[in-house]
Amino acid sequence: MAAALGRTVPVLVGVSVVVFLIVHAIPGDPAVIAAGLEASPETVERIRHDLGLDRPLPEQFVTFIARAAQGELGTSIRTGSPVAQEIAARLPFTVRLAFWSILVAAVVGVLAGTVSAVRHNRAIDHAVMSITLLAVSTPSYWVALMLMLVFSVWLGLLPAIGGGTPAHYVLPVATLGLQSAGQVARMTRAALLDVLGEDYLRTARAKGVSEVRVIARHALGNVLVPLSAILGLRFGGLLAGTVLVESVFAIPGVGRMMVDAVIARDFPMIQGGVLVVATMYVAVNAVTDAIAPVLDPRLRA
Amino acid sequence: MMLRRIAAVGARSCGAALLVGGLIAVGCGGGSTGSAGGSAAVRDTLIFAAPADATTLDPHNTTDTESDQVIGMVFEGLLGFDEKMKIVGRLAETWAVAPDGVTWTFHLRHGVSFHDGTPFNADAVRRSFARVLDPAQKHKRLSLFVMLDRVDVVDDYTVNIVTKYPFGAFEPTMAHISATILNPTVADRFGADFGRSAPATSGTGPYRVVSWKKDQEIVLERVENHWRGTAPTRRLIYRPIPEGAARVLALEAGDVDVISRVPPPELKRLEASGRVTVLRTASIGAQQFRFNVTKKPLNDVRVRQAISYAIDRRAIVDRLLTGFATPSTSALTPIMRGYANLGEIAQDLEKARTLLAEAGYPNGFQTKIATTPRYPMGVELAEAVAAQLKVVGIDAAIQVYDWGTMVQFWQGLPPEKNGQEIFIMGAGASTADADWGLRPIFMTAPTNENNYGYYSNAEFDRVIQAAMRETDEVKRLALYKRAQQIVYREDPGAVWLFDNFYIVATRTGVDAVTPSPLGVVTFERAVVH
Repeated sequence: MAAALGRTVPVLVGVSVVVFLIVHAIPGDPAVIAAGLEASPETVERIRHDLGLDRPLPEQFVTFIARAAQGELGTSIRTGSPVAQEIAARLPFTVRLAFWSILVAAVVGVLAGTVSAVRHNRAIDHAVMSITLLAVSTPSYWVALMLMLVFSVWLGLLPAIGGGTPAHYVLPVATLGLQSAGQVARMTRAALLDVLGEDYLRTARAKGVSEVRVIARHALGNVLVPLSAILGLRFGGLLAGTVLVESVFAIPGVGRMMVDAVIARDFPMIQGGVLVVATMYVAVNAVTDAIAPVLDPRLRA
Repeated sequence: MMLRRIAAVGARSCGAALLVGGLIAVGCGGGSTGSAGGSAAVRDTLIFAAPADATTLDPHNTTDTESDQVIGMVFEGLLGFDEKMKIVGRLAETWAVAPDGVTWTFHLRHGVSFHDGTPFNADAVRRSFARVLDPAQKHKRLSLFVMLDRVDVVDDYTVNIVTKYPFGAFEPTMAHISATILNPTVADRFGADFGRSAPATSGTGPYRVVSWKKDQEIVLERVENHWRGTAPTRRLIYRPIPEGAARVLALEAGDVDVISRVPPPELKRLEASGRVTVLRTASIGAQQFRFNVTKKPLNDVRVRQAISYAIDRRAIVDRLLTGFATPSTSALTPIMRGYANLGEIAQDLEKARTLLAEAGYPNGFQTKIATTPRYPMGVELAEAVAAQLKVVGIDAAIQVYDWGTMVQFWQGLPPEKNGQEIFIMGAGASTADADWGLRPIFMTAPTNENNYGYYSNAEFDRVIQAAMRETDEVKRLALYKRAQQIVYREDPGAVWLFDNFYIVATRTGVDAVTPSPLGVVTFERAVVH
């Protein structure tokens, strides 16, 4: 765990540097945008000064890093509120969305992948593989709008937008989770097919273990490590996906906040948002690394 | 002693600030109950979906329409605009200007109080303007009020507002959303944080702010026994939905009652569906492509005229906007004070070719058109204009920028630092007056802080300056007509394409929602069935 933490810190410092440089390299001046088009150059200059944007870049960077190290992310240019506060208000929505989506991806993906592997080359295998291919390759923007059209407009079963109640999460989680489920299913199937012919499974069957237990305990047990690694990595894709899904379903999360921040060139908000998201991603992968030995006794040696 | 004495009409308005050259389309909110079944009874909540959340509820700091939308329901000025953009009294019952042309006396309404019970009086007016005029407060709207000299309290319900010079557009400026009156008690307590949260927002408007969850919802509740009457709908919820297609689906699903910024391609279908009503009002905003007149060959007036004649505005309006706009007839839109109808400029390819030949470009030339998708159909419009220019031999390359990059070109650059040649622009003066609609945009200036295309015409400058200080309405209108003739036809500063409608769509059963030409919606009379 200490080793995982030791790897985390350099990654986050690296992320900070890259984000800072990119944010300052893209054209667009937050002071100009904040002042609005009717503003005088004096107003713009004053805002720029107040934001510290008239300081040399290296000085701005040192200030940013020094503050970030103390958990101080600065003040949003667009709203004037502390970045930490803005993120804290939105983070629960994104975490909820990401958590349920990864859960759906894991459960649906492993089930579909297992059925597919066990019925290898049968009709159900082909069906599952076609559906997962479709799920992986359909743009989530389109999927989101179609789900809304069918379940909200035509059937009137679920709310189309917002993030207030559990019902609000059904469609966004379906959009994000099912796409990831497609990948998980394909990966589970491939890993299972590798082990299904192995001797130890034949041995288990020979000593009278039921087929369900053979698959669930003996076969799946062996693919848990690569599976957890895949889920950890998928989590990154999921966080990226929340940007789009939060915009379409009007969920007030971090992803949508980042889009607004980029449009407004709200530097502190972009930097703070990326740092928080990167931390989440690194943390999740540190956890999957850490639990690998628990899942596979061979790694404990 | 008084030149004019005007009885105030207690109508509702919603003063809103549209950026000069800024976005025309806007979101405003309405609201309704979520999924409360289909009873015919009147509901107590209306939900309105705009593309973005408000950024601030401080009238002195607002520069975007989503914020204006909410501010317009919560705050009131001494004056306001009705839906025809007529000036009406709000917190002032009567007002008049002295013969000196600079001293405006306002007689204030009695018995009005702010949302926390603080009484509204002359001192509140003085402190409100002192706040926006104090440079130390760093308010973004300070530049709108540069002509103000001081505010004198005469008695509890009378103030004199004195300008530094006679200013023809004084009344529209007083009706502007940034001239609304803040609760002095709350403003003092919260300082720079005024308008950043529900408790820090307090005006005299028909609704007060109950809660504000960022990017999620702003909840307003009506003020009982407001001086303009109690609003029929108890609660307004402003709910941002960034995606246009999702906004439309949310409306069709009944999740929201009113949406703004409807994607133009959806309008026909929505109108035909029978479940949605599309409301439109002539907007103060017009869509144009402006010239950087310092770039060769756009510095030649004949070339600019040729471009103007090469464009088929009717085709663009009919095909791209599916009829949801009207071809321009002047440099201002008909709803603005000072507008003169100079007629549509019809496509005339012969004339365009002749003018190009006279200017020395019989085979056309190469140029660039800069655009941004932030304007509705911004990219499509540029493509249409480029295709039409191609017919007369002008080869225009299209450059698409995001908003943040686009405004970089408009931040007060000297000509040598600005590479733009022809660029998209949505202009609409937030005071709905010719002065603000022409003077900052086309009067000669060394940099392009507002005159983005470095337009310069000596006669235009003279006329505009004279009009600004002219308080005789007839003479003032004649001067503005001359200014429009110059910039629209004789020495074009832009290709004016069309005047926008401000469009909102409501669920059928939502009545008395009123879109304003300023690009905001008012809900104080709205009824939700």
